[in-house]
Amino acid sequence: MAKKLKGDSFFLSANDLKTGSVVYYNGDDWSEKVDKAKKINRSEIEEYENIAKKFEDECIIISPLFVELNDDGTIKKLRDIIRKNGTTF
Amino acid sequence: MYQYSDKDKQIVKNRTREFLSQVKRRIDGNLTEEEFKPLRLMNGLYLQLHAYMLRVAIPYGELSHIQLNKLAEISEKYDKGYGHFTTRQNIQFNWPKLEDVPKILNELADVEMHAIQTSGNCIRNISCDHLAGINNEEVEDPRPWCEIIRKWSTFHPEFSYLPRKFKIAVIASEKDRAAMKVHDIGLKLIKKRNETGFEVYVGGGQGRSPFIAKKINNFVKKRDLLNYLEAILSIYNEMGRRDNIYKARIKILINELGEEKLKSLIESKFKKFADKNLLLEEDEIKKIKNYFKLPINNPIKSSIPVKKNKEYNIWLNQNVIKHKLAGYSIIMVSLKHYNQPPGDATAEQMKKLSIIAKQYSHGEIRVTHEQNLVLPHIKNSDLFSVWNKLSALKLATPNIGLITDTICCPGMDYCALATARSIPISQKISQHFKDQSIQDKIGNIKIKISGCINACGHHHVGNIGILGLDRNGEESYQISLGGSADEKTSIGKIVGPSFSEKELIKAIQTIIETFEKNKKNNEDFLSVFNRVGIDPFKKDLYDKSNP
Ligand code: SF4
Repeated sequence: MAKKLKGDSFFLSANDLKTGSVVYYNGDDWSEKVDKAKKINRSEIEEYENIAKKFEDECIIISPLFVELNDDGTIKKLRDIIRKNGTTF
Repeated sequence: MYQYSDKDKQIVKNRTREFLSQVKRRIDGNLTEEEFKPLRLMNGLYLQLHAYMLRVAIPYGELSHIQLNKLAEISEKYDKGYGHFTTRQNIQFNWPKLEDVPKILNELADVEMHAIQTSGNCIRNISCDHLAGINNEEVEDPRPWCEIIRKWSTFHPEFSYLPRKFKIAVIASEKDRAAMKVHDIGLKLIKKRNETGFEVYVGGGQGRSPFIAKKINNFVKKRDLLNYLEAILSIYNEMGRRDNIYKARIKILINELGEEKLKSLIESKFKKFADKNLLLEEDEIKKIKNYFKLPINNPIKSSIPVKKNKEYNIWLNQNVIKHKLAGYSIIMVSLKHYNQPPGDATAEQMKKLSIIAKQYSHGEIRVTHEQNLVLPHIKNSDLFSVWNKLSALKLATPNIGLITDTICCPGMDYCALATARSIPISQKISQHFKDQSIQDKIGNIKIKISGCINACGHHHVGNIGILGLDRNGEESYQISLGGSADEKTSIGKIVGPSFSEKELIKAIQTIIETFEKNKKNNEDFLSVFNRVGIDPFKKDLYDKSNP
């Protein structure tokens, strides 16, 4: 999950198991609302990988990933922006 | 059309029940994703960027009006009100919820449809000429052969875990409308000394390493077809590489072993199988052929309405083809209305088209690998009425075969494997070249766009192929020229360094200008490219002294 990560801060995201919707981890739970997403530092990656694993095992989410952020807290990669905003056409 | 036997119905219903229980076990936590993933893929269910995606099989691209109406209902009830027709003549729903998928499969089963073998390392949906049975050039209708192969390949116990996915296409005329030579196996029905049989091509494919299939047999008798296919698949299953996903397709095997070696291995395997249990008896073939009798038998006297309506006349000229029976026409229904994602159809379009098909086309619809639809049997005298109805649905855009009739995969707007977007590129092309007189002036041309090297958008065989790449986090588009998926199949040549999204349309415009500059008489793009080669295009695109 964290193999090729660049940058210093991230959101933890995944797809909801039952609906497939894009969800973000807010510190307690998973929500479609990105503005509630918890900002994670590089040093915390391992801890949040374990959290993601726990929710995966509980069949809440699938396909967890870290979303790289710019310095101003916005999402960096187009792929992740599309996941957040939906299709671009 | 083929109709399910009781046994077929039972198989599909059982499979649906089985998947319902698997989904329940997954949601209840009794199956991990690792355990569940191969099961969902066997039922056509992927996980994309935003949601699950369900790919539903449309065997050899043939649909009844009842099935099309059901697809519309499913898209409304369980999805976002549209579906996407693919380059394998299937349909994809982009937003189903996991818990709804068994219900969708159940509803599909009611109309004799399913999602089996639309994914995974098995024999996929058999593709076919969308004009099968209704054109004058063919040796015979290839659809019954697609059905015979479908029956043999569905749940084939030995070929459910092949080294990689496996694609077969069947055509029956010199004209190739099914991209036959970029399939793992391409079959072409031919006549030799009064007997009909198959030319067999093996090892075509696109993706990372594109190859054109090689002819490995000049004539396989009809009765031997399944034993011969069984021989090819057995060799591939035994010898295809399982250690490297990029080298696992049969195209790599044939290139590593050499054509002659593979041919002799297949021949000796075939000798063992020949005259054994897969031998096709004449009455079995006849039984299947009976399902594909045309709903119309005789030519009729029916003329095309003459109207002084410019749009109608342009459409007649561009989207309507002669049927093999006099008095009838074939309508190509464009799913490339300007600015729409290629291949997408809304629930309303599907519903109303199913009514049109019922009323005017004996209830039949076909899907083309170029992501358009076909109304195969329209009485000439009905053409104006049908045009009016299609126009109201934005399904009569007169651009079949023209520059705005692009083939395009879902790209990064949906696909988890994508390196760039493809739909917005096709929209820009469609916007830029929308003017009908410009399109007519350019003439026949195929632009094909893929969002990654997997080439679902067939970019390798586009006259202009566009491949979306990721260059340090920026979308970038590599252009290849001179590809073709027809009877003169060729793989396009990369023209040079890639272009940013912003530069791309200008680059396409330059390519078109180079073509027009070099065009003689009525030559189309491919003829010009084949005559002048890639250099003039390169020069105009990259020569900095060009303004
Ligand atoms: S070509 Fe790539 S981006 Fe396009 S649909 Fe196929 S895998 Fe996805």
